[in-house]
Amino acid sequence: MWKDYSKSYIRYNRASGLQICAAALTASFFLTLFAFVSYNLWVYEMETRLLEGSAMQTGKEADSIALLPILFAGIMLLTAISLILIIRGSFEVSMQARIHQLGILISIGATPAQIRVCLLQEAAVLSLLPMFVGGVSGTLADMGLISLTNVMMADVSARRTAVFRFSPAVYAAAFLTSALTVLISAWMPARKISRMTPLQAIRNADMLQIKRRKHSRLLSMLFGVEGEVAGNAWRARKKAMRISNASLLLSFLSFSLMLGFTTLSQISTRFTYFERYQDVWDIMVTVKHTDIEELAADSHNGFGSRRGTGQLGDEMAYNVALYQKAESLIHIPPDRFSDELTALGGLSALTGNPADGGKAQVDAPLVILDDDSFLEYCGQTGISPRLDGAIVINQIWDSINSNFRYKKYVPFVEEEERSVTLYSAVSEGNTAEIPVLDYTYKEPVLREEYDDYALVHVIPMSLWKRISPRLGGEEEDSYIRILAEDRAEGRFAVEDSEIEETLDAMENAAVRMLEVNYEVESENRIREKRDNDRMIMGLMVFFGSFCVLLGVIGIADVFSSTLGFLNQRKKEFAQYMSVGMTPAQMKKLFFIEASVMAGRPLALTIPLTAIMMQLMTKASFLEPKIFWREAPVMPICLFAAAIVLFVALAYYLGARRILRCDLNAALRDDLFWL
Amino acid sequence: MEIVKCSDVEKVYGKGEGQTAALRGIDFSMEKGSFVAVVGASGSGKSTLLHILGSVEKPTKGRVEIDGVDMAGLNAAEAAIFRRRKVGLIYQFYNLIPTLTVEKNILMPLLLDKRKPNREYFDRIVTALGLTDKLEALPHQLSGGQQQRTAIARSLTYRPAVILADEPTGNLDQKNSREIVDLLKRSNREFAQTILLITHDEKVALEADRIVTMEDGRIVADRQRG
Repeated sequence: MWKDYSKSYIRYNRASGLQICAAALTASFFLTLFAFVSYNLWVYEMETRLLEGSAMQTGKEADSIALLPILFAGIMLLTAISLILIIRGSFEVSMQARIHQLGILISIGATPAQIRVCLLQEAAVLSLLPMFVGGVSGTLADMGLISLTNVMMADVSARRTAVFRFSPAVYAAAFLTSALTVLISAWMPARKISRMTPLQAIRNADMLQIKRRKHSRLLSMLFGVEGEVAGNAWRARKKAMRISNASLLLSFLSFSLMLGFTTLSQISTRFTYFERYQDVWDIMVTVKHTDIEELAADSHNGFGSRRGTGQLGDEMAYNVALYQKAESLIHIPPDRFSDELTALGGLSALTGNPADGGKAQVDAPLVILDDDSFLEYCGQTGISPRLDGAIVINQIWDSINSNFRYKKYVPFVEEEERSVTLYSAVSEGNTAEIPVLDYTYKEPVLREEYDDYALVHVIPMSLWKRISPRLGGEEEDSYIRILAEDRAEGRFAVEDSEIEETLDAMENAAVRMLEVNYEVESENRIREKRDNDRMIMGLMVFFGSFCVLLGVIGIADVFSSTLGFLNQRKKEFAQYMSVGMTPAQMKKLFFIEASVMAGRPLALTIPLTAIMMQLMTKASFLEPKIFWREAPVMPICLFAAAIVLFVALAYYLGARRILRCDLNAALRDDLFWL
Repeated sequence: MEIVKCSDVEKVYGKGEGQTAALRGIDFSMEKGSFVAVVGASGSGKSTLLHILGSVEKPTKGRVEIDGVDMAGLNAAEAAIFRRRKVGLIYQFYNLIPTLTVEKNILMPLLLDKRKPNREYFDRIVTALGLTDKLEALPHQLSGGQQQRTAIARSLTYRPAVILADEPTGNLDQKNSREIVDLLKRSNREFAQTILLITHDEKVALEADRIVTMEDGRIVADRQRG
């Protein structure tokens, strides 16, 4: 009997069943996806450690690996509980919709256990296929995710390509968790209904009920009594619409925030890196474990004798500079600080370190330029070219009156001293006194960011040769900076794709020339920007797909809800009709409901995103107007338009079907409900 | 003055072989301020007649006129407006809107019509129906009798030309049934409200001034009482 009853109910209430299918599919998809993501992460981590030969070397590492599955299981349990809370509503609404029938069955002697079993059986039958489909799609989605990660991370050095691993045990565990999630979601409302008395069940036959009196003030104000009716009806159906509401809100919010953050990050990187250094380098080669003297003296590499203009491969390299960096310290007495710095409260006011009243010890990073480049730098600062002293970049960031993004500088020291004593940063007590050729604000043309509160000294290689035995402290690597074109000619624009090939060719030529004798790493400006853009695009595609997927789940659920509860809504609209609601007013109700459904995620997301982005822009010391000029308004509008369009379509179809029905039949008698 | 007038009304459901005639040539009228009960067995056509009078359904043939309005020419929107101005429908299962408070349910037809309720008249009705302390409740928080009283208040509040009550006591116990019938009688006497009551309860029917008996889609008896 129960089998026949259930079969006939499922057959004649397909849309209601569809909603249960959607809920089961959603649960199974996310749980399987999560299970395989976790499993593959774990396998990747294990394999990496094995390959590195460090697997289980220490107790701490072994513990952390062993803890991973427990952590994943915990997160999976939380995910399952969240899913139960979300999808329970779909089961509850579907069961509530037939409570009158169940009431009759209870009244003729069906036991609570029979009702429970009947409802759970139906849920199981309806969920079995969707759970399987959800499991397969979750597995496929993880495969796609891993492939996408591999593509996106292809350029990351020292990263192993991830391979998707399928485990029947993990699949079975995910399936079991999905089945339990679905069953618990169905069991909760089934238990509640089965405990009702026949009278309660029959009396509660009306689908729409709100527990407490509420007044939809905004909707009443905007749409009058129809607004209030629609608002309350929407509230009464809130449980049924939980998946739609949550998915639409989450998808739009994540999409908007993701685009906002990536745009902000792009602007920030452009300002602090790409635009800031665009005129000072095209190709950078790091020559590992090599001193500048060795590099400059090596006539085979071609760079030792090449300064200024020269041929690099088939292309003309406009300017080449070799340099190395070293650490040193200086001691500055209080009266040597500039008036401007003193006026700001002295060094301690800027650095936040308390002053002891005596000489201040300050970092004095050394930039050792090859002699030709140093002579060229002398020309740029306006002094006669010499190789026996240092040019001091006499500036310190005024962190009181400016932020890191728009830095203002003040002179660090008074400029009358013509010599400086450098202290070794590695051998205490060793010093070197060198002449100061000039104090300047002008940095050499290098892709270098110097410490905020350090006094940078640029010195020629020949001087370094003399003082290095006493000072030491040089970095292991040397650098070659190549400019491909004369920036004064203005031929290269930042985005100019024409120079991509030129720079690639030059970089290859430089690497070929050097790699015979040295270990080298190279970068080129355009490729770096392109890689950065590609990485951001990859991130956007990845997160965007996730948002779209969530959106699709939400929209599917809206369709399922609007088309799935025609019977219940017929009764509801028949009631409106009986008190004199016109067809136009009924259409207005649908319009209001659709507006609430589509408008809610929009109304919550847009101001929230705007506030978040304004705060983030301020926190990153960018001028808000710069962000808002480039804000991703168009894609956000398109996403919003898609939500509005699909929700409108779902409600239009639902409204058309309900309003075309014979609503009078719903009023004629209550048998309509059976 | 005749406020309800039906001439040769027929209603047929279905097509071809499955055709069923629910009403067969009904001629019927009601005087303003009268209280008429329609009785008959299940399937006799009494609910169909009420639905036609309430403009919920259209007759297949014949003419229906209420308060001077010929209902044949009404489109769906006009029928709805007619319903919220000229007739008050009361059902066995109350048909209250479950998401609105009792007060909003009572005022619904006026609100839909963008009319301002007459507060004094509203207070008089809810006091008479004993709903004063239930105005903020939701329908499911009321007993069956209270829900039916709310439905009656709803149909009285806009002073319709006629109240059409379809088995209003069918879902109630004896005490509540008595109360509802008394209320209908009171509204007929105090507010001169025209009422058409459908029932198969002889006792309830005896409260009306006139009893019309239907059988197989036809009026078979029409007795004036008192």
